[in-house]
Amino acid sequence: MSVTEAKAVASSRRELIAATLREETATWLFVLKSLLAFYITGWLAMRLELPQPSTAMLTTIIVANRQTGMVLAKSFYRGIGTLVGALAGFLIVALFPQQRVLFLTAMSLWIGLCAGGATLYRNFKAYAFVLAGYTAAIVALPVIDHPLEVFNSAVFRMSEVLLGLGVSGAVHDLIFPRRIRDDMRRLARTQFANFIDFVQRAMAGKVARPDIENAHLRFVRDAVTLEDLRSSVIFEDPEARARSGHIMMLNQRFMAASTSLQSLHHLINRLKRKGHDVPANALIELYGPISEALDAPIEAGAAARVLLPRLQSARKAMDLHRPALRAGLRSDSDLLDFDTGVTLLDQFAGELYDYVDISSALQAPTLVGPAERVHFERGNDYIGSTIAFVRTTLAMGALSLFWIGSAWPYGSSAMLIATVFAGLFAAAPNPSLAVRETFTGYLLGMAVCFVCLFYVLPEMDGFSLLIAGSAPFLMVGLALMAAPATTRVGVGYCMGFAYILGTKNQMVFDVMNFLNDMIAQLIGVASAGISFVIIPPAIGSIWFIHRQLDRLRRQVGSAATAPLTGLRSRFESMNHDLFGQIVAQTERGSQASRNLLAWALSVHEMGRTLIELRNQMANRSLPGEVHGAITRAIDALARLYEQPSVVSYEHALHALSAATVMTSRDPSMHTLMDYLHLLRLALVDDQSVLAEYMRSKTLANGATHAA
Amino acid sequence: MPREIAIGGVLIPGLLVWFLLSLALLLLFDWVVGRYGLYRFVWHPALFRLAFFVCIFGSVALLLY
Repeated sequence: MSVTEAKAVASSRRELIAATLREETATWLFVLKSLLAFYITGWLAMRLELPQPSTAMLTTIIVANRQTGMVLAKSFYRGIGTLVGALAGFLIVALFPQQRVLFLTAMSLWIGLCAGGATLYRNFKAYAFVLAGYTAAIVALPVIDHPLEVFNSAVFRMSEVLLGLGVSGAVHDLIFPRRIRDDMRRLARTQFANFIDFVQRAMAGKVARPDIENAHLRFVRDAVTLEDLRSSVIFEDPEARARSGHIMMLNQRFMAASTSLQSLHHLINRLKRKGHDVPANALIELYGPISEALDAPIEAGAAARVLLPRLQSARKAMDLHRPALRAGLRSDSDLLDFDTGVTLLDQFAGELYDYVDISSALQAPTLVGPAERVHFERGNDYIGSTIAFVRTTLAMGALSLFWIGSAWPYGSSAMLIATVFAGLFAAAPNPSLAVRETFTGYLLGMAVCFVCLFYVLPEMDGFSLLIAGSAPFLMVGLALMAAPATTRVGVGYCMGFAYILGTKNQMVFDVMNFLNDMIAQLIGVASAGISFVIIPPAIGSIWFIHRQLDRLRRQVGSAATAPLTGLRSRFESMNHDLFGQIVAQTERGSQASRNLLAWALSVHEMGRTLIELRNQMANRSLPGEVHGAITRAIDALARLYEQPSVVSYEHALHALSAATVMTSRDPSMHTLMDYLHLLRLALVDDQSVLAEYMRSKTLANGATHAA
Repeated sequence: MPREIAIGGVLIPGLLVWFLLSLALLLLFDWVVGRYGLYRFVWHPALFRLAFFVCIFGSVALLLY
């Protein structure tokens, strides 16, 4: 990572107080906005005489977030999920009105399917799936004894949720909004400045290899974060929506340029390690102008545009300088190394220029022309979601059996809550902990609600006194929610409170009912937690990491065989997503994470080169035997990554040599030759992860064992 | 115009349909305005959007009732 000097200057007390106040203001602003949304919704729902104003009020709590864009994005997906879920609930009741076993089976299956779908996504889309699951339960379960009521139930549920969404969207958008747009702009600007600065330093030879790899890791994280922000920001700001295509493009080009830089550096390192100093130094001298061109002060504003002409002239300078450098090389192998480097360097310079170009377009006040459509592909895993499906279905099935067997009057209540939490936490990295924290909050919220409901509210009359009587209790939960460390406890608290408070036009104060409902809900939360203990989520386990590693390696296979159109961006974004997941799920600096990182870099480099090679092949007509030889080499490489072993390594090396020999006969195919050479260098790099499979290495290991 | 619309024998409140229609209109408006960055000339874009939406929805609903 870049050198971060510890700030020696201690901030003065005054600044500290100002910062604390700012932070506190943000927290209390959030609390007040959420309360406002909560009570406006309650008032409207009561005026509209909806049967359960508490549902609408609960909705405002659920979507509450400090950032406006997050509220809007979550609202959008919650709305979609509710619509789909209400429809599903309606259908399930319509299909099995009088058959409780079939009904509950269908319900369990539907909820399981939705929970499985949710684990495929890592942003709010997952939330829509969860909603679709439990809304069906919410719509259907309460009317299980009166199937004809289901239509009303569905319509009311939809109106309540949509009312809550509308009000909280308006409140969070109108009153002191905190926009993600600003965060995103800042992130994009810093990303740009960091990257340019990094390229500048790397090209001036000031960065070591481990630092380059770490920087690459950071760039990957940035790219994934930017994509996540982009997917939320489009809800808060029409202008950002119009720019969304450009931002995707920016991200795509950023990934491309950072990978090429990585490959270039590996190449030079390899050459130096093998003692080929002459071509390595020639290359370093060749790319000098880029470093000089980037050595301009980058400040907010039109900085990106300033760089464009400088980069252009740097590329010209490189072109002019190249023949002289090339003439200085003597042996054929040096020439080959140099040409390979030049191909890579040209590619990098082009990508860097494109990246700077799109940055400057984005920094300009108005956009010109539409962006080319790109897609940020996600690397989804179907096993993880199958496990979520099985777990949720089984948990629901078990609860249903228990309910049928015991004829428990509050069974539907328990089941509802279990559905909600089993779905909500299916995609969390540590669901058991999440459920435990939420459970604590839930218990706390309900206990507090007991006090509020039976000691405070009976003294109160009218809506304004309802607010006065309940707001202080709710504030505690919202304040907990605002602090990152206690968010889940806070969410549990608020949900428990608002749910059991059950605000209606005609408030009922029934202690027995309250306690029964409370127990049922706590059992519901607990059974969701138990289901996570019995069938633990795959995410984060060693087996899952192995699986992801496998998938990562198979990416080389897809680079070798998938159709070429759009393959490069698909490969890049999928790789980055997988890579980001792996980074998030392994411990920093552990053996597993180092191993994964090494593989990820190797896969990325190999895949990119294969795609470039295939692009080159597609652009020209090759003699049949050359084409065959190269195709065989590509296949062998794909197989090596799918099943890495000494044998497949040898096979790949031979196939590559054969292809190289075949290609070298024809001087017109020197570009292909460069890429083949690049592949070969990556393959024989004794510091890469493939070194394990080299024959000489195994022999050496065997010798030490024998001795 | 009827206040409730029957879809396959199920009565749907007409207002819901008009609500969705107004929402679609708002999105169209947003798209045009966002494309040319016109919200910069508005003091409080979110308030403006909400007000605009209320105007569309209100006039559509009033026209029909």
